[in-house]
Amino acid sequence: MMNNKIYEDLSLAFSRARITFTVVKILFVILILYFWKLQILDFQTFWQKSEANRIREITISPQRGLIRDRNGVVLAKNIASFRASLIRENCTNQEESCLKISTLLGLTPEVLNERIQKYSSLPLFQPIVIKDNLTYEEVARIKSRQYELPELVVQSEPKRNYPFGTLASHVLGYLQEISPAEMEMGQYKDRRMGDLIGKTGLEKQYEQSLVGTEGKILEIVDSIGRELGEVSRVDPIRGNEIYLTLDFDLQKKAEEILDGLEGAIIVMKPKTGEILAMASYPNFDPNSFINRFTPEEWMDLINSPEYPLENRTIRGLYSPGSLFKPCMLLAGLDLGEVNDSTTSFCRGSILIYGHPFACWKAEGHGAVNLYSAIQHSCNIYFYQMGKRLGIEKIARYARMHGLGSPTNIDLPGEKTGLVPDPEWKRRVRDEPWYPGETISVSIGQGPLLVTPLQIAVHTAQIANRGLGVTPYLLAREIHEGREIAMRQENTGGRSPVPEAYFEKVVQGMWQSVNDRGTSLLARVRDFDVCGKTGSAQVVSTATAEKLAKQKREIKTHSWFTGFAPKDEPEIVVSIIVERAGGGGATAAPSARELFELYREKYD
Amino acid sequence: MINQTQIKNIDWILIFLLVLNTLIGIAVIYSSSHYLPGNYFLRQIFWTLLSLVVLFALLAVDYNILVTYSLYLYIGCISILFAILIFGRLIAGTRSWIRLEFMQIQPSEITKIAVILLLARIFSEFKRKYLSNEAGISSSAFVLLAVVLVALQPDLGTALIYIPILLGAFMLAGITRKTLVTLLIIALAVGILGWGFFLKDYQKDRITSLLTPDKDPLGTGYHIIQSKIAIGSGGLLGKGYARGTQSQLQFLPARHTDFIFAVIGEELGFVGVVGIGLFYFLFLARLFQSVSKSRDRTGVYIIFMVAMMITSQFFINVFMTIGLFPIAGLPLPLLSYGGSSLLTNYIAISLVVNVKMRRFVNV
Repeated sequence: MMNNKIYEDLSLAFSRARITFTVVKILFVILILYFWKLQILDFQTFWQKSEANRIREITISPQRGLIRDRNGVVLAKNIASFRASLIRENCTNQEESCLKISTLLGLTPEVLNERIQKYSSLPLFQPIVIKDNLTYEEVARIKSRQYELPELVVQSEPKRNYPFGTLASHVLGYLQEISPAEMEMGQYKDRRMGDLIGKTGLEKQYEQSLVGTEGKILEIVDSIGRELGEVSRVDPIRGNEIYLTLDFDLQKKAEEILDGLEGAIIVMKPKTGEILAMASYPNFDPNSFINRFTPEEWMDLINSPEYPLENRTIRGLYSPGSLFKPCMLLAGLDLGEVNDSTTSFCRGSILIYGHPFACWKAEGHGAVNLYSAIQHSCNIYFYQMGKRLGIEKIARYARMHGLGSPTNIDLPGEKTGLVPDPEWKRRVRDEPWYPGETISVSIGQGPLLVTPLQIAVHTAQIANRGLGVTPYLLAREIHEGREIAMRQENTGGRSPVPEAYFEKVVQGMWQSVNDRGTSLLARVRDFDVCGKTGSAQVVSTATAEKLAKQKREIKTHSWFTGFAPKDEPEIVVSIIVERAGGGGATAAPSARELFELYREKYD
Repeated sequence: MINQTQIKNIDWILIFLLVLNTLIGIAVIYSSSHYLPGNYFLRQIFWTLLSLVVLFALLAVDYNILVTYSLYLYIGCISILFAILIFGRLIAGTRSWIRLEFMQIQPSEITKIAVILLLARIFSEFKRKYLSNEAGISSSAFVLLAVVLVALQPDLGTALIYIPILLGAFMLAGITRKTLVTLLIIALAVGILGWGFFLKDYQKDRITSLLTPDKDPLGTGYHIIQSKIAIGSGGLLGKGYARGTQSQLQFLPARHTDFIFAVIGEELGFVGVVGIGLFYFLFLARLFQSVSKSRDRTGVYIIFMVAMMITSQFFINVFMTIGLFPIAGLPLPLLSYGGSSLLTNYIAISLVVNVKMRRFVNV
């Protein structure tokens, strides 16, 4: 059927359609050219970006090396713990997610923001630890909201744990987050922001051995950070295990003795320098502040007037008091100022340079020779000897026997102590040396300062009849089951003072313990303990005398140092108890307990 | 209603190219969504079959009849748009869906067909060399109503596609220099007013992030960056079918819908882009060539507007995936997942076939 319609003239419309189609063709060419640029010319750039998108590098913290006592008792180990980290790259809105996360984890937004601010320089994909030691409940809460908060991830990490809490806390030290200043030091070059490092004690000293090597996982992730598989994995290497010279039982005993007091105890082997016990009180529980935040507990410790974080054995500076007398005697004998027949007569006090100097025993000791001077700790004998020797010689012999210089124990932060002489006084105080000061130094007072460890090492040299020793804590180091390092027994130099003179000092110390001397409470039946007590004045001599006149009690620091047995010495014990009165009454009986325990365990 | 001659004149090549591109789309949809719940590719196959049935069924009705009743069709669609604006449930933040028992339908898609038919009716009456004011203003008013209603849902992307349809009609009618200037002034005014009063912040961000995607790489720039990474990292040969990391690991957003071309670029590479682009070009070329096969003005307008609708949507979508156009939330015709869009395009092609098969009948 045909109707009457004639074809319309549509040529104009057709040509307009053709022109449009030409434009379309041009657009197609442009499109292909643009894809050429993206896919062929810029391929490398985009390929790398797509790889970076999907591959995530995860580091696995290694287990920190165990620390054991000499018999294998574990003093520091690791337990599993979880931490929450924020990956800023995955945040769609950082402020919003901060708010959500802070309510989820019970943190204040300020703390969280401060934390993020602190690490703002890190690349966006690196997780920032925002809370550690998560409870299982918190882990579950985070996991259940992973889709909503892909920026919040839970990572497991081994956490340092000290099973005996406060035991040997000063020796072991503690861990805290690495500080920006430490990051810049070369020795921590492999560490990253947020890592925990040893801050004091052995944890710091042997950081490189204990820390181990990080493992690495390259894994494929999707856009919200879910793992879809591993590309490669390098397992972490456990830190080296270290065995200490410490003896768990002696350490425990030493700390029991000091419990509730302020003071320090060192037990060591005189021949080798092995430290068997090193206690400082008050102490702290390092478990309670191994985290990345700064809890109140930590601030309390830092601000405590009793300085619980200070290791008094190496950082406490005390006057040695009468403990200095054996050293004086060595000087006197070696310089020929005294011999077996030299005697002094003690009336309880003496006038030197027009100034009265008192003996601790007001009624006097009567005639005193070199043995009884040590035995009864007679001040008069040493005042007179000091006057004859002079400060320069006294200082020389003190330095010769380990005072005034660090013992070089394998612990960080050891103090040097002070052996004064006129040169020192001119330099530091810009004053001349007064002769009366020499008299004070003769009985271990005045500016003379020692650490308890120096006293122990000094005592070991006497016990060794002149052979010096370097104290140490690390006995063995074990890497993946193989022993890689063992401490060489490290004897120091020999004293120029002849052995015979040491023998005389030892005899005096033996009498002090076993012949009704000042140290008699340190006596152990059949163990031949030799010792010396000391009662170091806390205040200056002048003040002490003033207080004494007012009949006010001055509590002195109570010292004891000694060794046993006399002939083949096996153990040195040095004790200081702050403000506990006379050495004979407090420190000496405590030393007996340690001697007894040692004997029970090792003989 | 339908006779042998007409069946003989069905443009099987066009239908073949239509189905071919749809099948390519289904393959890519499978690659980009097989790991997701929802069986998107099966649903797309279902929609394809349904659309084919509709395509052939509609051939039975002379397009002139459809054009005659186009005003009622248009009023019906507009009423539905009104209704869902008021009663519609919010799905994905917009009121653009009608929820049926088993499927969701986007009336804004189907409304395009009504607009094409209505414009064809209006313009078939004007036989001057250039667009007249009456035709220009009346047609603009009808289209603008639909655009406003869709934009209010808010579905700016779909609303945008009405403009090329209208422009297509204008171009065919002939645009004088005066009209062109007027249109540009109107566009400028709408742009300024829209920016000042109507565009939401996130929409403005999408436009500004086009210029500086790296300014906010996790926010508005994210889609553009991830899409460009996907395409660029495909290289010459691609990462392999269903092996695109950007897509499979879900760095790429809206993979099986708006950003499906980025999946093609990543997994099939430059070769795949050129290949699939070629098939698409052949399809569009067939459409444009069909214009001159019509013997009446109505048919010319219908075919040209259909071509404009699909072509512009194709370019907007692809330019969007390579960061040359703001992210408008617009599917790639035939390739992207989406039933309403597919059905609309099939109906549109059905109209083209309808016109072509009846070209000798009305003579």
